[in-house]
Amino acid sequence: MNKIFRYECQRLLWNKFFFGFLGVLLLYGWQVLEGVTLSGISHTAPFSPWSFGDYLSRMMPLLWTGALFFLTFFTSSAARRAAVLTDAAPFSPRGYALTRCAAALTGTCLITFACLAETAVFYRWYFGWQDWGTLILPVLTVLVPALVFSLGSGWLLGRIRPWLLYAWMLFPFLCRTLPLPQTACIWNGSFFARYPLTLDVLDPPFSLPFSTAAVQTVVLGIGVMLWGIGMCWERK
Amino acid sequence: MKSVRLLTLKILPPNRRHVFRDAPCARQTFADWWYTRPPGACRFTLKVPPPNRRHAFRDAPCARQTFMGRWNACPPGACRFTLELRRLLQSPLTWLTIFLTLLSPLAGLYIYQPASASTMHTMYLANPALAGGAAGGILFALLTVYELDRAGRSRMDVLVDAAVSPLTMALVRLLALAGAAILTLGAVMALWLPITAKLIGSVFHMEDYLLAYVIFMGLALPLSILAAASAFQFTRRADLSLAIFAAFAGLSLTVWSDRWQLCWLNPCVWALSDDFSNLRIFRSAAWMRMTWLGALTGIWILSWLSIRQYGKGLLGSLSQSLARNARLLYRPAAAFLLLVCSGTAFAAQPFVDQSNPDQTVMTFLEIPFLEGVSFLHRSVFVCPDTAAGTVAGKAIFQLQNHSGQTQTLAFGINPGYKISSVQANGRDASFSVSDDQEYNESLLQVTIPPAEDIELSIEYGGFPQEDSSMSAMQGRLEISDEYLCLENSVLSPRLMNVPPVNVPLKNVSAKDVPEAEYVPYPTTIEITLPAHMTVIPFSPSQPEKLAENTDGTITWRYEDSGTGGILYAGDYLRQDIEAGGLTIQLYYGRRHQAVMEAAGAAQAVKAVVDYCTEHYGPLSFGADGTLKLIQSRVSGGGYARNGASLLDEVDFTAANLDDAGKGTVPGEVMIHELVHQWWGLANMFDPASANDAWSAEGLTVYTTYRIVKELYGEDSSSSYARENYVKKWLQAVDDYQKNFYVRNPRYLAALPQKEQLNISNSLSYVRRYNEMPLKILKAEQLVGGEEAMDAILCDLFNRELDYTYPYLTYSDFLDACGLTEEELNLKKN
Repeated sequence: MNKIFRYECQRLLWNKFFFGFLGVLLLYGWQVLEGVTLSGISHTAPFSPWSFGDYLSRMMPLLWTGALFFLTFFTSSAARRAAVLTDAAPFSPRGYALTRCAAALTGTCLITFACLAETAVFYRWYFGWQDWGTLILPVLTVLVPALVFSLGSGWLLGRIRPWLLYAWMLFPFLCRTLPLPQTACIWNGSFFARYPLTLDVLDPPFSLPFSTAAVQTVVLGIGVMLWGIGMCWERK
Repeated sequence: MKSVRLLTLKILPPNRRHVFRDAPCARQTFADWWYTRPPGACRFTLKVPPPNRRHAFRDAPCARQTFMGRWNACPPGACRFTLELRRLLQSPLTWLTIFLTLLSPLAGLYIYQPASASTMHTMYLANPALAGGAAGGILFALLTVYELDRAGRSRMDVLVDAAVSPLTMALVRLLALAGAAILTLGAVMALWLPITAKLIGSVFHMEDYLLAYVIFMGLALPLSILAAASAFQFTRRADLSLAIFAAFAGLSLTVWSDRWQLCWLNPCVWALSDDFSNLRIFRSAAWMRMTWLGALTGIWILSWLSIRQYGKGLLGSLSQSLARNARLLYRPAAAFLLLVCSGTAFAAQPFVDQSNPDQTVMTFLEIPFLEGVSFLHRSVFVCPDTAAGTVAGKAIFQLQNHSGQTQTLAFGINPGYKISSVQANGRDASFSVSDDQEYNESLLQVTIPPAEDIELSIEYGGFPQEDSSMSAMQGRLEISDEYLCLENSVLSPRLMNVPPVNVPLKNVSAKDVPEAEYVPYPTTIEITLPAHMTVIPFSPSQPEKLAENTDGTITWRYEDSGTGGILYAGDYLRQDIEAGGLTIQLYYGRRHQAVMEAAGAAQAVKAVVDYCTEHYGPLSFGADGTLKLIQSRVSGGGYARNGASLLDEVDFTAANLDDAGKGTVPGEVMIHELVHQWWGLANMFDPASANDAWSAEGLTVYTTYRIVKELYGEDSSSSYARENYVKKWLQAVDDYQKNFYVRNPRYLAALPQKEQLNISNSLSYVRRYNEMPLKILKAEQLVGGEEAMDAILCDLFNRELDYTYPYLTYSDFLDACGLTEEELNLKKN
């Protein structure tokens, strides 16, 4: 199992896509940090959880796209041709699918950590600030549900039709242009610009309204559920 | 000349098993095509260039014979481009892309509206064209990656590469995609022409329509195709290419959207004029597009040379491309040249200057007056080239130099101008133009000889540049045969360190002179313009016709005073309005006549002047009792000087007429600028405190609010005034007070200077335009209401002036109100 995991990781991460994507991500991230985050969001510091959350919500579409691109490694026509061999191997299809999922998750985590590390460098560089602990909640709120949902839904869609993965990549970009309701406005990026202003305190600590937290939890749950369905399908 | 010949085999289902039966390699390729072909397709096409044609089917005698038969029968000169374009247009995905691109301007009407002005051309032309460009660019980029990946995805690349050079095929594909983009643009323009004309109405202008769609939308398509194709050719991966393109487009649409040279996908356009031409903003957008077109074409050529050949990688293929044939060195040379040219075009753009971003610095104003040098007269001869948007001129200064020594004069000159000659008393004088730029001016220093009477002649000209702080709102310095605006150092070099002859000022600078225009700097301006243009000096002067020239131009002359001067010209109409004891000469564009009449512009102007006269007193300047009110091209604001005020064309638009919330008196910029005749001109404010909260803007904004409140009526309008003035001030001041950097200045000080200036410039505006009006409103409540405040302001307006320091200060205001500064401090929320 470990050997296959390492092999899949190598296949996903040791190629020009990964490094090229990483470069693109870091370049875009730095532009966002300098162009938007530096001014501070909703009267808060650039290093507040709210400004950081805004940065994450701007990076989320690219991370989402990256996660789905990792899945395309398993649904490409070359992978489908090789599936004849891997299916014939004496290894549980479910275990193999799990291993692949783990590899995709590893890749997604790596590009996410790269994003976070870039922010750390930025905060240190400009403000000498390093209280990283306060930034965990925005990560858990913005990125974890979205990326789990992207991997879960992407895994299932990739099994149905590989091209659906490409169409699904557009989803977060589309969300950013839509006037979503308050409960889902993390997805169009307006939550971090609006919600802190309603709290009537300066530099409010990070918090989520129940409805938003519920939506994000549901998204996370749906992501896990879709992933589970994909796994069951795999077993068949 | 190599020419690709086409081998086309029409294949019907019953025969498909027999095609290439003697050519396993070609058969496999054919089989791949067969299972991935578009529904209904029955023609299998191979393109084979002459050198390879004998080898293409060397292992397949039967197919080779067929091919050779076809080859010989094929018409000579068959166009690869046409074939590829035809193939592209047979793809359903291409048609889907074209269809979505046709619909994409709809997004500009409802969702994506980057241009914020409320002119009809902005709302119904600029925004749809920009949205069409952004959406169409993204769609065509996706199509490009899909098409370039097609051969590899279908595993046809080996065969195609054997038949046609991959470089040739890449070029043909690019041209075919560009061809499809051009066809799409034509279709979009044809479809949206009647819709746009209907939406815009009587002010619709066909030239603007064509230019907007070609520049704002059309050029986005090839740029996107080039960017996506370059990414694909470098990486040879569809996924990575899409990611690179997504980031590149995302930056343009978000972080770079206010940086006019970087927003390659969505040009930085904030407004298009309804009444006058828009050539300057079109030129600026076209320059940006051409810069990127050069850069992306250069990058594309590099990526093209890197197309994998002979089983080598990126660098191997590139070196192979470069080393294979010395005759082909023009290819990398072209790429290099294009990149250098676009880099130069980026760095040396002619539209925006390099003014100091720190707007608190005014070193030019602090240059001390020269002792022993006096100004007698200035004559300016200006000849704008309305086709090129440039200005050529000559300024002659009559000076006296009693100092008996050489002196260095300082002029402010538009940074876009070149000085071609400087002569003092007929001899060349030494001069230099400093790189320091401030408030849209460069410092020109001229050394004059020790002679007593000096006639200094300066010849200048060029394409005027706009202030870098307004680079996202370009178009102010429009010069065309429909409209022209020459302001101060754009009109002629502005002398900064010489006092007038009868006003011996020592140890002072221009900053210490109350208003340069009050001091007698007699000036004669002559300007030559096309005969149909009306010349309107932004001063009480009236121009006279000097000569009608044989080339269809007229030379005008008028007298002015001041070191600068502003001149408007264009296709104007004039309407005279009697109000407040003055004759208001209202000038507006001919195209705007119907809207101005429907909006009741004359009544609005009269109402404002009557209000101010009744509440504060009549204006006393202007010997002939006239005041010019000139409609400018959309500029996002205005200004005023003695005897003239500006009226922005967005004050009166057809869209505003339909806005019931604005009541019966549109034109708030007009009101604001008219009020400046009372606050700012008749009563002056210390220019040294221009960055303090107390300035002419505070009282002007407050008075504008009062006028809007009164003239809009009691029910709907008072709520309009409250919503659009008081609440906005409160919101802005609240935002200001809560701003992180205002509360924690140590963090602002820690930032690099560029970031500091960006933030502090945006904050200083709030204090003058929002905080001070709010303080005056608070004072109004404390002194007993509107009537009491009107009486105080009337007294202040008519107070006796101390001519050594004629400014209205904050202390004067507080004293008149009987309040202290602390009492007016706004409570922090």
